[in-house]
Amino acid sequence: MVFSGIPFLFFFLPLCLILYYAVPFSLKNGILLIFSLIFYAWGEPLYILLMLFSTLLDYTNGRLMERFGTTKCRKTFFLCCSICINLLILAFFKYADFVVSLVNSILGTQIALPGIHLPVGISFYTFQTMSYIIDLYRGEVKAEHSYAAYLTYVSMFPQLVAGPIVRFADIQEQLHSRKITFDGMQAGLMRFMLGLFKKVLIANQAGALWEEIRMLGATNTSVATAWLGALCFTLQLYFDFSAYSDMAIGMGHMLGFTYHENFRYPLAAVSVTDFWRRWHISLSTWFRDYVYIPLGGNRCKIPRHLFNIAVVWFLTGLWHGASWNFILWGIYYGILLILEKYIWGNALAKLPKLLQHTYAFLIVVFGFVIFAITDGNALSSYICLLFSFTSNSLADTRFLWYLGNYGLVLLIACILACPVYPWLCQKISAFSRPKRCILSTVSGIGMILLFVLSTAYMVSDTYNPFLYFRF
Amino acid sequence: MITENKIRKVVTVLLCIGMLSLSIWLLLSPKKDFSENENRYLAKFPALSAKSVLDGTYTESLSDWLADHFPKRDFFVGLKSQTEILGGRKEINHIYVAKDDYLIEQYAQPQNTQRIADTLSRFYKKVSQAQVNINLMLVPTAVTIHKDLLPKNAPVSNQLETARSIYAATGIPEIDCTSHLFTGISEGQLYYRTDHHWTTLGAYYGYLAFCETKNLEPVSLDSLQKQTVTEDFAGTLYSKVNDYHHKKDSITVYTNPEDHLTVTYTDTKEVTNSLYNFDYLTEKDKYSLFLNNIHSLVEIENQTSSSEDVLMLIKDSYANSIVPFLAHHYRKIYVFDTRYYKDGPSSFLSEHKEINDILLLYNMNTLDTDSGIRGIY
Repeated sequence: MVFSGIPFLFFFLPLCLILYYAVPFSLKNGILLIFSLIFYAWGEPLYILLMLFSTLLDYTNGRLMERFGTTKCRKTFFLCCSICINLLILAFFKYADFVVSLVNSILGTQIALPGIHLPVGISFYTFQTMSYIIDLYRGEVKAEHSYAAYLTYVSMFPQLVAGPIVRFADIQEQLHSRKITFDGMQAGLMRFMLGLFKKVLIANQAGALWEEIRMLGATNTSVATAWLGALCFTLQLYFDFSAYSDMAIGMGHMLGFTYHENFRYPLAAVSVTDFWRRWHISLSTWFRDYVYIPLGGNRCKIPRHLFNIAVVWFLTGLWHGASWNFILWGIYYGILLILEKYIWGNALAKLPKLLQHTYAFLIVVFGFVIFAITDGNALSSYICLLFSFTSNSLADTRFLWYLGNYGLVLLIACILACPVYPWLCQKISAFSRPKRCILSTVSGIGMILLFVLSTAYMVSDTYNPFLYFRF
Repeated sequence: MITENKIRKVVTVLLCIGMLSLSIWLLLSPKKDFSENENRYLAKFPALSAKSVLDGTYTESLSDWLADHFPKRDFFVGLKSQTEILGGRKEINHIYVAKDDYLIEQYAQPQNTQRIADTLSRFYKKVSQAQVNINLMLVPTAVTIHKDLLPKNAPVSNQLETARSIYAATGIPEIDCTSHLFTGISEGQLYYRTDHHWTTLGAYYGYLAFCETKNLEPVSLDSLQKQTVTEDFAGTLYSKVNDYHHKKDSITVYTNPEDHLTVTYTDTKEVTNSLYNFDYLTEKDKYSLFLNNIHSLVEIENQTSSSEDVLMLIKDSYANSIVPFLAHHYRKIYVFDTRYYKDGPSSFLSEHKEINDILLLYNMNTLDTDSGIRGIY
């Protein structure tokens, strides 16, 4: 079920919230669990068994580690058990086709592709359950005794299919006691609505133009159009992904949970290093804490540090999908981060701010071209278009046509991708009370109108993609 | 005392009430089968089966059903289009929102030119043994004739170029109505503003081109009875754009008082004396009044015609509004819609030796997008 659809918004969510608020606290987790399972089963009626198995495995391992993990050696055994099985499941369901086609192309064999359809959200929930077992091993969390509570944590519908990757350590206490207030519900609803508007009114529009441009064919694409397409995909991915996080965080609030922020205006970064502190934070911190730092991080000799970065970014790329272009995308960032760290990072910081922003933005936009196009030939021909290695014109009337049709949406998107909203809030907080009241009335009316408009787009829109089916 | 917090509370409560009332309304409201405005059947409530539940198609169909039966769907669908147009969009669902209230269908890069030319060539080869006159008329659509009304910078592929390459590749003698249509622009409306067809007047200019090529004396418009049958025609383009405040069209029909016709619809066995079925005026798709919508084969006999000629007309729906003009010049016309006539008109031709003229008439848009032409041969 997608958040930005009628079944979720008009039936699932209201029904879930009404029941959730109506029952006493002891039953709230139960309601949440039942609805989360329905949510998952709606899109994946069979693979829900896989998720149940995965959680049962880590829950049992946790209990065993607590009960029998008296020595480091035994604890390590349970840890390895859990991690190996989790990674095997992930590898089988996500990478089997990729590996087989790799083997075929290297050995020249003709093994048939298994053709396994990827269970939605598997990368997200596998990383969540792994965070639990690793943290337990490190003694950073206590073992969870209630399977229902653990399953509720993993399957919680706000973050189940598109993140953020919530760590058990952050949420264990809240699972057993949390405050559910009207203010929290109200703030959560506003945050949810914000995400909904971003997804329906901006991401889908930018995505529609990107689809049109990528389908144009090389002869009709001028250099300017190609860059416009890259910009559209960047905006689509950012607004879509961060909208999902907004909606997840918002719903978390409504249910009484507090999640960490997942995006902090990544498109306004000043360097690649900065971008990765702002983009999909829950994933980059996961890799930092569970891969990069255990490998030795940056507190080691330079060659080892380079190796650590290479491993982390290869894995980051691979996590995004079982295809070469995602690995390439990861390596692209690995190399850039190394270059920033060892070659031009200091020089970059001395440049005017505007140049730093431009530098980071262009790298990010180009990076998302690698991310967007899974087919190697299509990717290389698109890159040729971008850098004018073809005889195509720099700009044509078609570019102007797209600009006329989508200019306004893209302009709004670019403005919202900069941190104007926090800046405005800060300005407004200095206003007098009557002024603030007028402003919140205006923004309230705006909110309702945007909700009506989003409903209109959802009712009539055939283009409402779910981008994370590869993750 | 009013505080920001209170205002926020009111907004939250309003949003919740709005959401809940829409959900309840959706469940309780009576459901329609057909959307007049969108001109399509709405999704049916999915049947429950183990297979559809397990492969996920059940929930998909359920989502479609909910969207299709959403309360005030027309309002919401219209709101989206109007917002997009307001935001600068000049193209919705491959329809240009053009000047002078025209909606004009895009002409995308043609995909099937070679195949169409091959089909036509094969048909031409077959009939050229039969000693009949054959002509091909490829009618440009509004995107060509009203190029100046298109929004600025709108990308267009050249219909005339495609038409020329088809004429050249097949060798069938052409009837080029383009210049006639261009001269007709100043005389009145040649294409509907909300539909992809030409108007009756547009068809008349096509008829003038036909007469010029065939050396016939065209009947002047003044000698025909003119009748405006509706001013409330919202055509196919209207239903694709879904801006429900768009100006609607009128339909005018012409009748020649000299002609006494017998029209036989062979598939439904209906026989009438009119080329129009005005029952369609009460329905959404009013263009269907021409030749009673779609029939695989229609036979039109004109008892009062001075001519002994018999025409075989192989066509798409564009021709439905040119037939009333052509009928005057033929004792009998066989009208084939090759999308539905399955036996192939060429065998019909060898069984009906009285046929001495063949006209192939297609518009440039559906020629490429509709597979109907394949039925010719």
